[in-house]
Amino acid sequence: MTETAPIRIEDLVVDYGADAVLTGLSLCVPAGSITALLGGNGAGKSTTLATLLGFVRARSGTVRVDGIDPGADPDGARRRIAYLPENVALYEHLSASENAEYLLALSGETPAREALCEAFRAAGLQEAAWSQRLAGFSKGMRQKVAIAVALLRRTPVLLLDEPTSGLDPRATADFNALVSAVRDRGAAILMVTHDLLSAANVADRICFLDAGRIVEDLEAEGPDRFDIRALHRRFAVTERAAAA
Amino acid sequence: MRTTLLIARDELRLMIRNKVALIAVVLMTLLTLTAVASAWSHQQHAADLRARHQSEAEQAFDAQPDRHPHRVVHYGHFIYRPLSPLAAFDPGVDAFTGSSLFLEGHRQNTANFGDVRQSSMLVRFGQLTPAFILQTVAPLLLIFLGYGVLSRETERGTLRLLLLQGARRSQVVGGKLIALGAVTLLAGLPAMIGFALIAGKPGASALPMMITALGYGAYLALWAIIIVFVSACVRRSRTALIGLIGFWAVTVILLPRVAPDIANAVVPLESRLQTDIAIGRDLRRAGDSHDANDPHFAAFRQSVLDRYGVDRIEDLPVNYKGLQAIEGERLTSELFDQYARRAHAAQLRQNRIVQTAGLFSPAIALRSMSMAAAGTDLAAHQRFLDQAEAYRFDLVQRLNRLQAESVSYANDTASDAGADRRKRIAADHWRQMPQFLYRPASASDLARAALPGLLVLVAWLSLAGLLLTAALRRLGGR
Repeated sequence: MTETAPIRIEDLVVDYGADAVLTGLSLCVPAGSITALLGGNGAGKSTTLATLLGFVRARSGTVRVDGIDPGADPDGARRRIAYLPENVALYEHLSASENAEYLLALSGETPAREALCEAFRAAGLQEAAWSQRLAGFSKGMRQKVAIAVALLRRTPVLLLDEPTSGLDPRATADFNALVSAVRDRGAAILMVTHDLLSAANVADRICFLDAGRIVEDLEAEGPDRFDIRALHRRFAVTERAAAA
Repeated sequence: MRTTLLIARDELRLMIRNKVALIAVVLMTLLTLTAVASAWSHQQHAADLRARHQSEAEQAFDAQPDRHPHRVVHYGHFIYRPLSPLAAFDPGVDAFTGSSLFLEGHRQNTANFGDVRQSSMLVRFGQLTPAFILQTVAPLLLIFLGYGVLSRETERGTLRLLLLQGARRSQVVGGKLIALGAVTLLAGLPAMIGFALIAGKPGASALPMMITALGYGAYLALWAIIIVFVSACVRRSRTALIGLIGFWAVTVILLPRVAPDIANAVVPLESRLQTDIAIGRDLRRAGDSHDANDPHFAAFRQSVLDRYGVDRIEDLPVNYKGLQAIEGERLTSELFDQYARRAHAAQLRQNRIVQTAGLFSPAIALRSMSMAAAGTDLAAHQRFLDQAEAYRFDLVQRLNRLQAESVSYANDTASDAGADRRKRIAADHWRQMPQFLYRPASASDLARAALPGLLVLVAWLSLAGLLLTAALRRLGGR
């Protein structure tokens, strides 16, 4: 299971010169699951994502994205990843449809019009917005476009960076439902977030990151999934450690 | 390649949807068309004017009545340099050096000893010609259209988005280059059509035209690469714009203006007044043909008497005054030639300094190349001066020989009432004088002269390509 997991990180060490950011991180996200990575500022969450995307080289350790080492073959790894940054970057001069068509074409895919409409519907993007340029889109609407692209790309890995930051509760709930749907289609999802409640709602596993390594690894259990109070306590400790 | 073309297409789509870009291209096209039309009209007008004046000058010369040949020497003759077919595209130094010369005895006129400080500097910023549009305005337009091609993507986070879709850095940069290249082609097309219309006249040669087209193509391609390079190196579009405008201002405006000033400071040219004084002094040293006791002319007179085996100049079979005029003209021309060569050598040294500045400014390299290929550079002007001087010397000496052979010494020195009539010779002689026919440089000579500028541009292009390749590695990694 571990060997075949789309996201596999073992003893990862990353530093920026003298600053050690990841100090032996090990993490595995199997297909059809959501892992939430929580931690204070500077804990190494964004660096973990950047390493998976091939933008940062590891000093040591093993990183595999669907079996590919992103350090050696970043283009190959990226072809297997759909990534949603905190602020979804899309092209303002293009409509939602044009954005999707352009990005998918870059990935080597040319979806049928019907498939595109279906993805927009699945992402919850209103039909009136499909042909509108993105200049006036809210963050939630942009995320829906990006999610639609991710759905159509059918990548085995989805990386989310603070996806619910700035979203209202309704939009957060919609987004979580959407992410669950992607998980149900078999994708391995790694979500970096500060939003504890959202993580508790949607994740199958929550890992606390502190000083560049996983300090606590919790799995959802039973109908309540996670002990929210315990999560809060753990999170407060992590935040304090980051502040210190 | 498909990914590269997709990125290029999107960049072009952005430019089309961006009204500013469209307006800029339309303005550029209008400006170019105006420049082409204006240059074409100016070329026609100038060519007609020169041809008409040349014809009038020849008619006036031929229409002189019976008169003493030396009066014809002083009557003089105007000659005009015909414009090369590419002069309308790039008039070069023509406007500064002038294209007409007044030829007369004992003097070399106009540019030879004129105040050529301006002309030798090759400063000609401000003329609305197709060459000016391509050299100065087109890069500015490209900067405004292209400064954000990559920095905008970095700034907005879409560069990573492109990379995350599987596009390689080289494909992203390639796409942006193709898009900017297409705009460059579009921006340069009206000027190049104008160039073809202007240069495609009878007399135009394919080789200089080809070199010119290659040079301008390389120059604009260079700007496209520089723009993409700077845009790739910075995080913010504003920084890219400021950097590129600064580079444009220095290399296109400042250096082409400062380099001639530096050249002038390093190799100062004598002013017209200084030259005139120096020539006057040297002339006095060389000998005064009117002074019977002048050592040079005393020796000359003796050598003539010896050659003809007579004791007195009155016994010579030819008019001694004519021979004296021939010798006097030889002496003064030699002296004028010395000064002309010295002035030209100084101008060449100045030009070499300016051309060396082309290593730091592609605009200077392009201007040197463009003027050389168009036959409107300093070398072309000097070619005209050399031919004009050779013609002047030949004309004056022919007239002096006429004086020596067709006017007797007795008549020439007589001062009685009918002497003036006896000194005259028939007007037919003037009509038999050869006409000035300017021989322009051959196509291969023009191409050879343009080659150094082209090579400097190619060197710039290679350097920019290497820098862009180096910048590729850092792209998107920040």
